[in-house]
Amino acid sequence: MTSQVLTKYLDNIKANLRLDTANENAVLSELVTHLEDEFDDMLESGLSEDEAADACITSLGSVKLIAGKMHEAHSQGSWKQAIMASTPHILFAALFALNWWQGIEWVLVSMGIVLGIAIVGWLHNKPMWLFPWLGYSMAPVLAAGIALLYLPTVWSWIAILIYIPLALWLVFSVTIKTIKRDWLFSALSLLPAPVVVGWFLAVDQAGSGIQISSDYMRDFAPLIALSFLALAGVAAAFIRMRKRWLRITLIAVSQSMLLILVTFYARGQLAIPASAILALTMTGLLLGLFMVDRRIRYHKKS
Amino acid sequence: MPQRRELIKGSTDHLLLNLLGQQKMYGYQIIKELDSRSDGYFKFKEGTLYPALHRMEKAKLIKGVWEMAPSGRQRRYYQITIRGQELLAQERSQWRDFITAMRLVVGPTSA
Repeated sequence: MTSQVLTKYLDNIKANLRLDTANENAVLSELVTHLEDEFDDMLESGLSEDEAADACITSLGSVKLIAGKMHEAHSQGSWKQAIMASTPHILFAALFALNWWQGIEWVLVSMGIVLGIAIVGWLHNKPMWLFPWLGYSMAPVLAAGIALLYLPTVWSWIAILIYIPLALWLVFSVTIKTIKRDWLFSALSLLPAPVVVGWFLAVDQAGSGIQISSDYMRDFAPLIALSFLALAGVAAAFIRMRKRWLRITLIAVSQSMLLILVTFYARGQLAIPASAILALTMTGLLLGLFMVDRRIRYHKKS
Repeated sequence: MPQRRELIKGSTDHLLLNLLGQQKMYGYQIIKELDSRSDGYFKFKEGTLYPALHRMEKAKLIKGVWEMAPSGRQRRYYQITIRGQELLAQERSQWRDFITAMRLVVGPTSA
């Protein structure tokens, strides 16, 4: 590309595409060849380089229009991807519906499967279905850190000094990389968070975060399974949706609805103030993801 | 002319399938071809062409392949698929019916 203006124009499109690398490269290569052809034609017609570059940009149209339409053309995932995205939620639903949560081996096998599939997806072009798996695969990293705090003092210090900074760094770096693709995928990863935390608080007998009541767990297990099934439906719908505003609405509405349902069905075990704080935290998190996304894209453009 | 723009918008897929049904073409070529064949009536906003092509490719109506053009530049050529040909045949018959009906209604007053 001969003109700086055209290069900047293409960079702006790239910053707004929000596609995976393969699709992004295909779209940009096609636009580059289009601009090269048109630029040459404009020069042949007698325009100067600057005039030709401006004319090419005017003909192709605004960055937001092209990037938005291109995103829409590629954003809808296939049914196969939708099923794949809902599978981790179904897996956790099965853990509770079949009472497998009581056997540590089943929990470990499930976690192993989730972690393995998340790593494979991460290393293979980060497809759309990866993000729900990614969310679950981050949970044991944080849970292990919290559990270490309750070990004898020496281990607690090891947790504080080594494990927690490492775990936080890992979660932070994965989140930033996900936001670079699209903040909505980070939101999709975080989708189970209010449900998981909500049920965790409901079955936490002493309020200390470590004394989980098995009786409550057994009582609530079918409802917990249903919550995960609802999450599976939301993940599948998200993948099949084309419009961004629909996806944003889906995430916001489903998180609030599920949290309200958890509070209602927890039969007083999850206090309304705790539920409200959880809802506010999740809203803050979503807004935070959105703001980081805007900042990243602003830096990419400039 | 907003009405003309709406008409073109509504017939984008049909126009593209028609063109690609005759020969494989790349994006810039499609724009020039539509412009010259329609005496400038079908002036595409270029930025809307590529999303339309990609959407149709995802729907398996057309297929894009990177090829080396005679000029030595790599270009993405689009060609119609069997599914695209089937849709084109259906749409053609609908368009024929539409044009016939329009002629029947508009014809007497314009004659």
